[in-house]
This record gives sequence, structure tokens and C-alpha cells, in this order.
Amino acid sequence: MTPSTLEQHDTELRERVAADVPWQTIVWDDPVNLMTYVTYVFRSYFGFPRKKAERLMMQVHTEGRAIVASGNREQMEHHVQAMHGYGLQATVARAET
Amino acid sequence: MIVAGLGGGEGIRIVLETEEAMLLSELADQVDSVLLLGEADDPALGRLLPNAYPEDLEASEEFTRYTRDSLVDGKRQAAQSVRDATAVDHVDAGVVQIELDQAQAWGWLTFLTDLRLILAERVGVDDDEGDADVETRDDYLRAAYEWAGFVQGSMLEVLDPIKP
Repeated sequence: MTPSTLEQHDTELRERVAADVPWQTIVWDDPVNLMTYVTYVFRSYFGFPRKKAERLMMQVHTEGRAIVASGNREQMEHHVQAMHGYGLQATVARAET
Repeated sequence: MIVAGLGGGEGIRIVLETEEAMLLSELADQVDSVLLLGEADDPALGRLLPNAYPEDLEASEEFTRYTRDSLVDGKRQAAQSVRDATAVDHVDAGVVQIELDQAQAWGWLTFLTDLRLILAERVGVDDDEGDADVETRDDYLRAAYEWAGFVQGSMLEVLDPIKP
């Protein structure tokens, strides 16, 4: 194996790994939205059971942010757009590795 | 202002005093105007249309390009539906009764959220602790902010009752 093939191989691997890294939908705390509203949005939009929706809502409230979904970038952008539609502060981020 | 569930479960009835309906109609019209005419650097618009990629300018601009029109349309439709539902023809109409199905109720919930985000920006609600200077800055806007939260909270108590 020549160094150039090795390098080629490496690049492909890196690209494959990069493409597999999931993205995240992050919802951020804001002082405006009611806790009951945030919970209802999580339950209705994501279909989370009440306990999970409330846990994520509390995480947003106490820690300032919560990851509410992971997946490919297109899905995460779709979720973030929906969250903005509901008036929640949400961002798309690459998952930390 | 009274919120009650409709028989059958799917939907709610909101009963507003005439003055409350007029106020809500006026506020809904103003939210629609902010969405239609708001300057790009209006911080209130920034609350309604947040930056999806705060650390990636290019991705942020692309996201805005693909989502902004549809988000603005959805928010304007919600505001207009509230404005129209609360429009009162004459002042001595007594109370205004509005029945909403689940989808219409969502329109109201999101409108009330957008309204509160705008009012919060205008009166400077930026943390959970009350600030004496801020509280006296604009009593009318603050009262509207609190009242909109009360309406939304009352709707949620009926739409999503917490079971003991």
C-alpha cells in the first residue's frame, strides 16, 4: 500500500464518520414561556410521555438548555423550525463527540 | 375571562368581556404588524424568529432563507385568526364567546406566546427576577404581558389538565 492510497482511505473514513455524527435540537431557556406551555409543546409535537416532557422542560428551566432530539441535520432543522413556530428558542448543533 | 372545555373533550370555549376582546383584537393586530412591517434589526422579531445556528453564520443565513417566510406566514395567520375572532362590532355587546377546536386552540397558544415575546422585549423582561426600574417602565405593556400569560395558562389548564 502506497502512502497515497493510505491517505485516500483515511479521508474517506473521516468523511464517513463526519456524516454519521448526529445532530441535535437544543431548546434554550427563556423567561417568557410558561412551563406548562413548554411541556405541552414537547408532548404534542414530539409525542413524549408527560414524565419525559416535564423532565426536559425542567432541564431547560434549571440548566438553561436541553437536547430534545438527535438525528440527521435535515430532521433537526425541521424540528427547530417547528420549535420557532411555537415560539421556543431552539438551535441546531452538531453532537459533541 | 373564562376558559372551559367543550362537551366531547376536543376543544375549548373562551368567554371574554367586551373590553378584553377588544384589547386582544388590538394586540393581535399589532403582532401582525410587527411581523409584516418589523425592521430586520427589531429585537422583538429576533425573539419570534431566533437564530438556529448562533455559531455558524452561513448555516444561519441559509436556515433563515428556507424557513422565514413560512414561519412568518404561520405566525401572521395565528394573529389574524385571533384578531378576527375577537373583533367586536359594537361596544355594548356584553360578553364574547369563542369556541376553538384543537387546531384553532394551538393558533391561540402560539399567538399568545408571540405576543408575550414581543411585550417582554418591549418592557425588558430578561430574567426571572423582577427589576424595579423595569416594572415601572411601562405598566400597560406589563399588564398586557401578565394578562396574556393568564389567558394562556387558563387555556392550558383545560387543554392539558394535570392529573393527580
